[in-house]
Amino acid sequence: MLDNRILEQLFRRNYSEMIHLARVLLGDDGEAEDVVQDIFLRVADSDIMPKNDSYLLTAVRNACLSKIRQMQLHEKVKHLLPIEAETDLQPVDKQQGRHDDITAFVDEQMKEPHCSIFHLRFDEDLTISEIAHRLGLNPNTTYKYLAQSIQQIRNHFKR
Amino acid sequence: METINDNIRQLLEMLDNPEAYTEQEIQNIINRDEDTRETYRLMVEAKRSSRQHQADKPIDVNAAWQKFNQMNTPKKHHLGWMKIPCRASRVAASFIAVLLVSGIAFAAIHIVRSVVGGDLKSPTQESQISISHHPNVPTDTQTADTIATSQPVIYDNIPLEKMLPEIATHYDAKVTFVKDDARQLRFRFVWNPQKGIDQVVSDLNQFERLTVTLSDNQIIVE
Repeated sequence: MLDNRILEQLFRRNYSEMIHLARVLLGDDGEAEDVVQDIFLRVADSDIMPKNDSYLLTAVRNACLSKIRQMQLHEKVKHLLPIEAETDLQPVDKQQGRHDDITAFVDEQMKEPHCSIFHLRFDEDLTISEIAHRLGLNPNTTYKYLAQSIQQIRNHFKR
Repeated sequence: METINDNIRQLLEMLDNPEAYTEQEIQNIINRDEDTRETYRLMVEAKRSSRQHQADKPIDVNAAWQKFNQMNTPKKHHLGWMKIPCRASRVAASFIAVLLVSGIAFAAIHIVRSVVGGDLKSPTQESQISISHHPNVPTDTQTADTIATSQPVIYDNIPLEKMLPEIATHYDAKVTFVKDDARQLRFRFVWNPQKGIDQVVSDLNQFERLTVTLSDNQIIVE
């Protein structure tokens, strides 16, 4: 078993980043905590130190994807999780960079009301009718704006 | 273009209320064509970037470590080399402790017998005194090499409320916790039973998070 002091150092150095990644991928704080605790339990049981800290992030990513694969379809869709196994796995830092790019694009280049609709849909999980009500728009118009927002992101990152 | 919008609109409608659809209907909607599938994939990414942006809330690493340690602690009580269940390992550890104590007592009697020769009373008393000085520490808090009396006892990640009363018993002292928070503090503390209680209190005060005083043979933790 790994020495407890070494394990504590490893835990304290990496926990925040690991839990952050698990929350992003799973969208559930409790599940994210379970994933990270399980990884450290496995590390504690082993005599071998992880090769480097990025190994732990990759372990989190893989564990989260495995958890998602086991979920029911309704649950996946409800939390906007991938419904099929992700085969083209980029390094974790590249994926995080892309997520940052999407946020930057929405905040800096997307015009209103698209930007507000995007945030209400993805940050606050409001339905189309709730967004329409909040912004005083027609639901049909709101559908159109949300579809356009997604299309804009798609076009931007296609370049 | 209109077809794409219809499919995507249906996707967005479904995502607002997936419970109203069967699994097959959901699959059909998402996989209707490449554009719809790609739109769902982009929505997954959009949701992740939203979470990444929002997940910047503070994380209490200390609390997480304490929680993890509690989960991990029972494993540390295992006698690693024996690979037997926790309860069985405790029984085994107790048994080994008894054997060791008996062995020490036997050795003490045997040595004194050899030196004094024939006088059985005083060596036996000596060995009893030696045994009575053994700290009343459960075997699961001891490492194998800390069972003998004069050896230091290592408390590794044991809550203060468990560790301190055991130490205090050795000095016939009592323990008072002024604040309940301190009860669950865990340290790696090496207690040498041969040290006086003042020295032990002084050692405990080396921990930043701990203030310990001794008053009327009472260990007070603040």
